[in-house]
Amino acid sequence: MAHRRGSALLVAPVLVLSLFLAGCPKRPATTAASAPPPTGAPPSSAAPSTTSPGGAMTPSPVAPSTATPSTTPPAPSEFRETANLKDVFFDFDKYDIRAGDAAVLDTNAAWLKSNDNLVLIEGHCDERGTNEYNLALGERRAKATMNYLVGQGVQANRITIISYGKERPTCTEHSEGCWAKNRRAHFLVKAR
Amino acid sequence: MNRLLRPGRPLGFLVGLVLLAALGGALSSPPAARSQAADVLLNVLATGAKKLNIVVPHFTVVGGPDAQGLGKNLSLVTARDLTFSSLFSVVSDVPPIPVGDPAALKAAFANFAAAGAHAGLQGVLTLRGDRAEIEMRLHDLTSPEFRLIGAKKIELPTAQTRRLAHKVADEVVLQFTGEAGVADTKVAYVNSGSGSKELSLMDYDGASAARVTSNNSINISPVWSPDTRSLAFTSYMRGYPYLYRMFPFENRPVQVLAGFLGINTSPAFSPDGRSVALTLSRDGNPEVYVLNLASGAFRRLTTYSGIDTEPSWSPTGREIAFVSERAGGAQIFVMDAEGANVRRLTQAGFNTQPRWSPKGDTIVFTSRQGNFDLWGIGPDGSNLRRITAGPGNNEGASWAPNGRHLVFQSNRLAGGYQLFTMLADGSEQQPLTRAPGESTSASWSPRLP
Repeated sequence: MAHRRGSALLVAPVLVLSLFLAGCPKRPATTAASAPPPTGAPPSSAAPSTTSPGGAMTPSPVAPSTATPSTTPPAPSEFRETANLKDVFFDFDKYDIRAGDAAVLDTNAAWLKSNDNLVLIEGHCDERGTNEYNLALGERRAKATMNYLVGQGVQANRITIISYGKERPTCTEHSEGCWAKNRRAHFLVKAR
Repeated sequence: MNRLLRPGRPLGFLVGLVLLAALGGALSSPPAARSQAADVLLNVLATGAKKLNIVVPHFTVVGGPDAQGLGKNLSLVTARDLTFSSLFSVVSDVPPIPVGDPAALKAAFANFAAAGAHAGLQGVLTLRGDRAEIEMRLHDLTSPEFRLIGAKKIELPTAQTRRLAHKVADEVVLQFTGEAGVADTKVAYVNSGSGSKELSLMDYDGASAARVTSNNSINISPVWSPDTRSLAFTSYMRGYPYLYRMFPFENRPVQVLAGFLGINTSPAFSPDGRSVALTLSRDGNPEVYVLNLASGAFRRLTTYSGIDTEPSWSPTGREIAFVSERAGGAQIFVMDAEGANVRRLTQAGFNTQPRWSPKGDTIVFTSRQGNFDLWGIGPDGSNLRRITAGPGNNEGASWAPNGRHLVFQSNRLAGGYQLFTMLADGSEQQPLTRAPGESTSASWSPRLP
């Protein structure tokens, strides 16, 4: 892809490394005999039990990072809503930018070029179809939107994308009018 | 296994086998390993009966007090399991059979035999402190002396007595058909009752439901490892959609399986448990990869500029079904496990969620033709058939380990999606979950150890 982010290539090995340190591959093929029998009702405390003050579950320890902090994108929660960047919308099962929405993205690109923020592009889908396919579709929508902005001169390294698939609809009625509102790319910003 | 005797009746076998095939292909043992119970079933089916009539009295409790009424309650669980299997017509909730008293046993079973029962199940439950043991004894009520045709002792911690009842049912199915039942299994699923999507587990029959994540994030796509010890799933617990692995029955931390930029989604354990197929967009667009759990290496299988996702392994581990839009809209494809020999399976509509049967002969998938419904197709593209036809949308099927049942999600009732079960041909649909919250994304576990 023309606009692949260089940072992806740096982050990837770090996370693969974290897999090893998490102690995962101790027994690839465990026999049933050695497996402790499941309890009738698994206690919820036996699962991801460590809870951070922020309420987020803490997975296994991550390896000490060998990459510079700048290679990791800021958490989505660090980005803020802005009235200066308008959503664009998509047809069912499509991720190409519609002609009418190109003008919206032109305006968004112009604002981004005169305001030096980081931007998070969220890709969203309507409720129809599977979680997994819609996560891929939302990814393509965010990516197509990013590619358009980069084509208009916005630096790729200012942009992070995230797919929410069908998981975060803005409209929850089961109608085409509602579905059309949910098939969108949404923008959030963060000061550099 | 404790098969008591070898079969002695090869002549009726072929006739019975044909009838059993009509019943759902339940008989899987070769003639040499066929049990006496299998002979009883074959003979019953040869008479034209659709199911075997079995009486399941309350289990007889010995060796201690039964303050909780376990003898009755566990027998009712076993009875429901046998009914669910669709192989039996069950009479239950009748008094227990005395132990060590052949005359009393014969007297107790005689009335049921006269009423048409073909088999009787006696359960002898022994409670010893923190251990509980059941001896199940199967009797042929079509024989003059109600002969014993199978027996087995099963022991578990007292805290897991409900599993004992499930294991008795699975053993009964094993004795009659040559393949164990699927009652001692669990279903992992997503429930929104807390206000966020969290993972939960329940027994296959909906009992003992318990949440196993509580991160107030979005947790989706749980899938079981073949050893039933772990679940892979996608979560936004760290903000971005990463792939994790958790051990719901052990005090072990959650592991990150894949945390690349972009999506880390749609996990599927290989049948040998050594690999996880998944979708990553780290190379620019969603592609199917295989993660080797021992080495941590990711191997990319697909190369297409649009969406490739939703891998599902064949039971041999040699092939992977997946969804691609390379031919236009979303369609089901199959490739070999190294990514070569891609071939298209479905032609029309919008088709996603391929799930390969544990028997290998069917790939069930979700098709949008107006509403969403479940369809099946052979791995060679033959035998395309509709499995559900409403009401509402019917999606996200997951196979029971015997390939005879499916769990799926439907919004046919008011209030959104809940889980349902059915036989693989779409018959015997029945609700599995109820509110609070919507329940979706079911994954039926392999048999528990």
